[in-house]
Amino acid sequence: MNTTFDARKISMAGVLAAIAILLGVTGLGFIPVPTPAQNATIMHVPAIIGGVLGGTPVGWLVGLIFGLFSWLQATTPFFKDPIVAILPRMFIGVFAALTYQGLRRANVNENVAITAAAVVGTLTNTIGVLGLLVLRGYLDIGAALGIAVINGIPEIIVAAIITVAVVVPVRRIAMPRRSTV
Amino acid sequence: MANTQPSEFDFLRNVSIGQYLPAGSWVHHMDPRFKLLAFALLVGLATLLGSLVGQLVLLAATLLLVWQARVPIAYALRTVWLTVPFILIFAVLQLFFAPAAVRATGCQILWSWGPLLLTDCLVQLIARSVLRFATLLLLTSLLTLTTTTNKLAQGTEKLLRPFERVGFPAHAVAMTLTIALRFVPTLALELETLAKAQASRGADFGSGSRWAVLQRTRRILPLIVPLFVNSLDQAETLALAMEARGYMGGQGRGTFRQLQAQPQDWLALAVATAFTVLLWVWLH
Repeated sequence: MNTTFDARKISMAGVLAAIAILLGVTGLGFIPVPTPAQNATIMHVPAIIGGVLGGTPVGWLVGLIFGLFSWLQATTPFFKDPIVAILPRMFIGVFAALTYQGLRRANVNENVAITAAAVVGTLTNTIGVLGLLVLRGYLDIGAALGIAVINGIPEIIVAAIITVAVVVPVRRIAMPRRSTV
Repeated sequence: MANTQPSEFDFLRNVSIGQYLPAGSWVHHMDPRFKLLAFALLVGLATLLGSLVGQLVLLAATLLLVWQARVPIAYALRTVWLTVPFILIFAVLQLFFAPAAVRATGCQILWSWGPLLLTDCLVQLIARSVLRFATLLLLTSLLTLTTTTNKLAQGTEKLLRPFERVGFPAHAVAMTLTIALRFVPTLALELETLAKAQASRGADFGSGSRWAVLQRTRRILPLIVPLFVNSLDQAETLALAMEARGYMGGQGRGTFRQLQAQPQDWLALAVATAFTVLLWVWLH
């Protein structure tokens, strides 16, 4: 049987992707911040959490489905371009997972590793989306850099807080209950 | 029960995913594999086509499809109206930050004021982008309005199957998609319960200064953390249930309803392919 995508990983990815979709449609995923974009998004956080808890396959799946929905449901013209909406999102959870696993292997503190994964995942989203907007000719490189700095920093802070706040209790509560049959 | 006013806790109200309009047209009845392929062709064309005339023709063809699918035009256009403010902001932004290529010589200056420069190339670029967004919006609404989520997942899996040979996990993607769609309404209800429970304990999610980023983030934690913890718990239960029923991934797994392509499915795909190729060749 294919162990990369077993029932546990698929169900975890499915539920996390559902949270990402829900954060988008309810508006809960947008935290008001004092930047021109008005909001910092946390819709990519489920992908980061998937990467940390389930490894690269789960992070990849959650990111892919988050990208697919942000494309299908987009009301912002930029995100109606599938290359911008889907492609960079597939790497959020993958890079977050690799960061977390690499740091844990190097015996870095758990909380530090989770925070680093959140920072890397958020940067992947910001840089990937803005980079492709520039490559596709929608935005000037100067404007993209401005948005990256002004909007990226609050997003990194918000994502780091939420990822740590979710992963630590999940590790403590849910995981020991796991069946060992 | 006269109180039908939607409350701030009513999260389910916003969930429009899987909104299906059972109008029974030939577009609805198409085999999802063929519909997805034709859809991919048209989306690819809208994304990559660089010509203004091409985008106009494509938009006209898309409107024709919407009419053929018996989706009320006003209903389909509703989402397009929502994007009008964004399109306006985008157009103004382009005036300030237009890519260098547009400012290059060879463009006729129509209007200039200080650093702002309106050239005919820029007008073309804005018109082309607006047309492209309208087409993509209509196409994606058309797909979700005429296809049930089950058929969408089944079609995706069947289409991606050949790529499993090169290691693409088609079955895992389709299964995750199905689970995600199934869980959105369940989790929306869960979120509603959580929000009411926390609000009854005095939690306040909405207020606070825009500048207090940390404070605002901390305020939604009582909602977000239990949502994640409970959901991951449900995922664990679901995984056990799947394994208990002998779920072994995609290998050797059949489907209850078999997809069977009809001649009209082949015809529709052939028309879409011919349209794509002809438009591309004509404009290049």
